[in-house]
Amino acid sequence: MNKETKTKPIAIELDQSPGQSKGDVVKEEKGHGKCLMSRRDFLFASGVTTVAMISAGPGMAKVPAMVATYPRKLVAKLSQLKTDKPIDFQYPDKGAYSESMIVKLGVEGGGGIGPKKDIVAFNYTCTHQGGDMSGSYKGDTKSLGACNLHLSTYDLTRHGILISGQAYQSLPQVLLEIDGDNIYAVAIFGLIYGRVDNLEA
Amino acid sequence: MATPYYIPETNVPLPPKGAEVITTACDYCIVACGLKVYRWPVAGNGKGGPKAKDNAFDTDFPVDPLGPWVAPNQHNIVLHEDKPHHVVVIPDKDAKFVNKGGDSSLRGGCIAQKVYNPQSPTRDRLKSPMVRIFGILQPVPWDFALDIAAAVGNHVIDNHGANAYGVKTYSYQYLENTYAITKYALRHINTANFTFHDTPSDVSSTPGFRDAGFDNFGPAYEDWMNAETLLICGTDPYETKTILFTQWIMQGIQNGQKAIFMVPRRTAGVAYAEKNGGLWLDVNPGTDLLVVNAIARIIAENGWQDEEWIKNWVNNKWGSSSGFGQGTRNTPWQWRTTWGKFQTNGYDDWKKWLLAQDEFKLANASKVSGVDAKKIRKAAEWMAKPKGKKRPKTSIMIEKGFYWSNNTGNTQAISALGIIVGAGGRPGQVIGRAGGHQRGGQRGGKYPRNKSPMKLPGRRRRALDTDTYTMSGHTRLAHVIGTTWIQSMCGSQQLAKRFHELTVANPHQVRSYDKQDIIDTLKKRADSGGMVVVNQEIYLVDPIGNRYADIIFPAATWGEEDFMRANGERRLRLYQKFYDAPGEAKPDWWIIAELSKRMGFEGFDWKNSNEVAEEMSRFSRGSRKDFHQIKVAAKREGKTLHQKMREFGTNGIQGPVFMTEDGKLEGTKRLHDTQRKLSVTGPEASNVFNKKLTHFNSQTGKCNIQKSPWSLFSDYWEWMKPRGDELWCSSGRTNERWQSGFDDRRRPYIVQRWPDNYVEIHPDDAKKRGIESGDMLMVYSDRVPSLKETILGVEGSDYSFSGQMKAGNVELTRAAVTGVAMVTRHIKKGMLYMDFLHTQQPANALEGRIVDWISGNYNYKMGTAKVKKIGESPYKHTFRTMSFAPRDIT
Repeated sequence: MNKETKTKPIAIELDQSPGQSKGDVVKEEKGHGKCLMSRRDFLFASGVTTVAMISAGPGMAKVPAMVATYPRKLVAKLSQLKTDKPIDFQYPDKGAYSESMIVKLGVEGGGGIGPKKDIVAFNYTCTHQGGDMSGSYKGDTKSLGACNLHLSTYDLTRHGILISGQAYQSLPQVLLEIDGDNIYAVAIFGLIYGRVDNLEA
Repeated sequence: MATPYYIPETNVPLPPKGAEVITTACDYCIVACGLKVYRWPVAGNGKGGPKAKDNAFDTDFPVDPLGPWVAPNQHNIVLHEDKPHHVVVIPDKDAKFVNKGGDSSLRGGCIAQKVYNPQSPTRDRLKSPMVRIFGILQPVPWDFALDIAAAVGNHVIDNHGANAYGVKTYSYQYLENTYAITKYALRHINTANFTFHDTPSDVSSTPGFRDAGFDNFGPAYEDWMNAETLLICGTDPYETKTILFTQWIMQGIQNGQKAIFMVPRRTAGVAYAEKNGGLWLDVNPGTDLLVVNAIARIIAENGWQDEEWIKNWVNNKWGSSSGFGQGTRNTPWQWRTTWGKFQTNGYDDWKKWLLAQDEFKLANASKVSGVDAKKIRKAAEWMAKPKGKKRPKTSIMIEKGFYWSNNTGNTQAISALGIIVGAGGRPGQVIGRAGGHQRGGQRGGKYPRNKSPMKLPGRRRRALDTDTYTMSGHTRLAHVIGTTWIQSMCGSQQLAKRFHELTVANPHQVRSYDKQDIIDTLKKRADSGGMVVVNQEIYLVDPIGNRYADIIFPAATWGEEDFMRANGERRLRLYQKFYDAPGEAKPDWWIIAELSKRMGFEGFDWKNSNEVAEEMSRFSRGSRKDFHQIKVAAKREGKTLHQKMREFGTNGIQGPVFMTEDGKLEGTKRLHDTQRKLSVTGPEASNVFNKKLTHFNSQTGKCNIQKSPWSLFSDYWEWMKPRGDELWCSSGRTNERWQSGFDDRRRPYIVQRWPDNYVEIHPDDAKKRGIESGDMLMVYSDRVPSLKETILGVEGSDYSFSGQMKAGNVELTRAAVTGVAMVTRHIKKGMLYMDFLHTQQPANALEGRIVDWISGNYNYKMGTAKVKKIGESPYKHTFRTMSFAPRDIT
């Protein structure tokens, strides 16, 4: 599996004027709109995007920008997933802290997909100080952790929010899409530990 | 009701090479992790790159685990010298002490979100002084507000006496400020109507420690790690002083330490300890004393006590109550002990008393406390049973869950247990508080106890109970500094009602544009039996500022001024200014100085916070924070005290600080350090060698072993304990929220995690009441007891809870607080637990406003309440906000 369709960075033009939200100006890549739309739904169409953003002041009408987008990667088959049995994968690349997991929770979760909206995926790296939490999934509490460095725990039914612990933000959630029996990772919600940008490994 | 949500940023600017680096420490919990602020101008669009050569950390990104990663919550934009600057605030990766290697909690880790930024929820920082005119707080110039406060203040003092001027203040928001505030309130106004944020009266928080001779903060952090057995009472340090746990206790547990937690909730630290062979004593609220004395009894019966230590370091009759004892002088110690209820003639006398008390027998202690007898026995063995000739190195840590439920009794009992297991005075064998907030108190005046009208048997005086005094209408001007007052005290809703009556319901309200008119109106308010409220704060607090204050002074805080403060191992650091305070906000020392000058007080001509620090240093001599010699060294080197402090960076120096013969500064690792060798030449010049360096805080320098009768408290406990379908209702901190949430309420991520107050309830208790996680609950009571007047009595027994009930001085009132149900396995059956200081939903409203009749503290942690479902919260069926997962996942 793991067939990858990595998208190369593309250059687009930002036509940014004061008062216009940043998200509205990003042109979606042709043929890949589904990915961006699902992510935008996820973000309440709030104007935050996954792509590199440019700060432009008034008077800077047209700014050329390099916009990198997430790869669309096959990470699991719907028919393969069993409740509370996570499957590991790497995303968005094979660099540091790309280790991630997909799990069928058996109960509906925030951002969940599938017929029961219970399939979610998360990065494995603790957003406190980079502890590796692979293998720490708990079926009874639908959680990841405790991280063995400083004991942080995360609720996978609630977008990876911190249950108890010291992390500086929620666990990055890997956004998923279903196409037939195939489940694709298409983006990440939240910055992965250790990185400056999710797409710079 | 909108569901709070938070959208994380997915990239963050790195500090470029050349970014300024400013050291400071975290503003929040007692541990005070060392932090570094990286600051660079927004102008020029400078930004560091992911390669080591391109960023201020000299590190390639992605960084290693524990590396200098910058989470988006660690970045902000501030004004520095009126120009926009980026700041990145991260734990100091070079820290050698406290948060070694740059660890931090969630609170301190995200402290960059605290700083004022008009584009963030901090935009409502108080930015100008305000006066309530026609019912609305309206911005006015500093002179206008200060002139009014000074004129009304002087009028109240002249016409109603100094005690009519009440000062309720934080005890810790930096040494310079607390010095200025106490110099003003205690030395100049000289009011007995004065207390700190966490107690109705200015009294010792841990009376038993005080009597035994233990300093609250004697231990070094390494001692908590090096103990072989560690008993932790009334706190989970992982939750509330995180780094003390993760950097010290957790390492200890990994090295084989046996950690025993005595708390009713099994939170992460407790679960970690249990998983690694530790013990959880799941005590019912208010019954700690029985468990502690049952442990002591097992130790005494088996002869496991530390004989050698007792022989050398415990007072006999001569040392404790006659001869070399404190004698008949009027001290708090004495007026408690002269009743004969506490003092002993030494270990044997104490043991005789202990064994004669049936309630401390294992079976009874186990039954009332709800702790399995086997676990109590095991705790006794771990703490004291020798292996061959080798005794375990045992330490004891206490905090508010313990000492704010049966304040006097619990602290007396634990001191005696500490003494018999040899805790105190040796590496890894210590007794102390874990701590809550940091230690930023420096007295600029002495509390005038003789002016307090609160009398105890034998005509002895206790510090004035400012809540009861205010309820009785004696406070004519309440000067409230950096505390919510109302929600922080027990019976909050009764207090709020009284504040309302005395302020906004008083007929004398400001309806004028003229300064003198305003002054005259407020004077009339005070003269008519009403109350004027002056509030010094960083945010407008509801209700003390928002509803009741007549005058608001906007304060500058962390990062906005150079300040000094100590942490829980007495480590002193300079907390540096790194950005401009919002608007016209000024540090509290400046506000107090301006007010003092207008009121005609002398000695407030400071030009900056360093001048305050240099004035106060001599008053620190002999204290646990003694830093006077740092100033002496600074002057020799032609520096200011703050400049010298800056050189210590995030590592700081542990007080008390001395100067050695060769002129070097030397800190103090632990107090009561019986193995420490002090300089043979002894104290010279302004060097002070206080007894507490190598001995204990008693006349002889040895410990007093004291009795701790259950009967002095059991009447209140029996009366309070749940009846019918009531449950115990306790409260405390949660890791993710600090104090009243003044900052956390303005951090979107924390608001998403904890949007409302919560009510933890055991699954069995919840099921019985048809409650599920996410339900909105009403927590209520018809019998919150409250003292009506200053305590009335003649004989000692009149002052007990039963005595006060009999005298008709206890009123039963109603209280109601809502919260979101959290049905969880981590809480003991039979009790509820809430966040202690949610300003909208104050759990303290359900706690009895009855002071511990011996010490004067509240027993905050043991109210009772009924609970019912009133509907569903918006968080029950949505996924963005809150989590109902338990806190004990390991």
